[in-house]
Amino acid sequence: MSIQYENRQAPEGVNVTRHNPVLHLLKLLAAAVVFIVVLVIVLNLLGAKIARTVPFEVETALMDRVDHSFSDPGTPPGLQAYLYELSERVGENLQIPEEMEMQVHYDSENEFNAYATLGGNVVFYRGLLKSMPHENALAMVVAHELAHVIHRDPIAGLGGGMSSMLAVAALTGTAGGGAVAKVLTTTGTITQLSFSREMESAADRAALVAIQKTYGHIAGADELFKVLQIEKEREGESWTAGFSSTHPQDASRIEAIARMAKENEWPTTGPLTPLPDEFTEWLGGAGQ
Amino acid sequence: MEIILFLVLLVLGYCFGLLAERRHYRSIIAREKVMNSLPAIASRYPPEDKPYDQQLVVGSVVIGSDYFKSFLAGLVNFFGGSVVSYEGLLDRARREATLRMKEQAQKAGAEMVFNVKYETTSVGNSKLASVEVLAYGTAMKPVFAPTPSAAGEG
Repeated sequence: MSIQYENRQAPEGVNVTRHNPVLHLLKLLAAAVVFIVVLVIVLNLLGAKIARTVPFEVETALMDRVDHSFSDPGTPPGLQAYLYELSERVGENLQIPEEMEMQVHYDSENEFNAYATLGGNVVFYRGLLKSMPHENALAMVVAHELAHVIHRDPIAGLGGGMSSMLAVAALTGTAGGGAVAKVLTTTGTITQLSFSREMESAADRAALVAIQKTYGHIAGADELFKVLQIEKEREGESWTAGFSSTHPQDASRIEAIARMAKENEWPTTGPLTPLPDEFTEWLGGAGQ
Repeated sequence: MEIILFLVLLVLGYCFGLLAERRHYRSIIAREKVMNSLPAIASRYPPEDKPYDQQLVVGSVVIGSDYFKSFLAGLVNFFGGSVVSYEGLLDRARREATLRMKEQAQKAGAEMVFNVKYETTSVGNSKLASVEVLAYGTAMKPVFAPTPSAAGEG
């Protein structure tokens, strides 16, 4: 008798697990997002805390070794002196620690920006300066950037940001799948930005106190954000900007200024100090 | 904008992936029921009840993943665990390859396929994976040799 061979129809669902793929995806995605958010928060707090313990001299020494000049070689001496004098004047009301020496620079690029970086280096761009209507508005910008240095924000941002972004990159790098890595990196970046926005708000608050002390009122202090708002409206900002911005929304910054003035009963009106007569000339004409 | 594109791709991947999978399973099950009459056997020892001609038969298929499945698999890779989203893909590929192998055997006039083996490889990049499954075996074609009585001895 010969052997009978046969293939019977195999039952379904043996080699394929029955599951709800959408639910499975939502659960995993939620878990991954929570994980990344917690990781970024913890590493940011830790990284920033550790970075802030680095002595300021180390920052300065580090920047001395960097072969980069923040200042434009063609900076008009008058403008340099004025920016320096203004930062001294405003800085008096900011309680700058003794060991901190501020380096104020001018950059003739037409960017609408100013920033503070390691070693107490503060840079103001021509694009921003030329849209300043009076000294009070400029003083707010100066005070804001000096406050960043006093708060040690540049090094804290570097410490917190680098450690968390490195961790996210290492994790998502091994996860494979381009889209997954992208989603998780974006989650990390958005979480990261909330720290940056908090630093901005803290700098705004410190700057406003300094402006009130310097001029006796805070008139014109919110001018920068009004100018920024107009600038962005002109460019047509997208609705997602609130999440993806390193800075708080301009409207909320203007509100915060008004709220703080009300709480402290600071006058919101007062005589505005004009910019020096040569200011436009220093910038090489406002029209350019 | 990017998030919208991502969601659209995810939804499209899910819908079309589901449709393609259902349609493929319907076709596989229907064809399997027919092809069960030509057994594919894993054994290396073919029957010796009668003479057979032997022939190599091969069935191969490449099945692509979709955006949804790949994304889900990527997430599973983050935590570890069974990549269930690819199970259907591989199951379909194995069964389709077996069917194609059997179809080739049937055309050759075989009664069964012996010593069936599978090979698999991934095709394409890691972002959007495709899988190839190759099934091969020895098709057994009965030889209708003259019987000793009919041939006579002298």
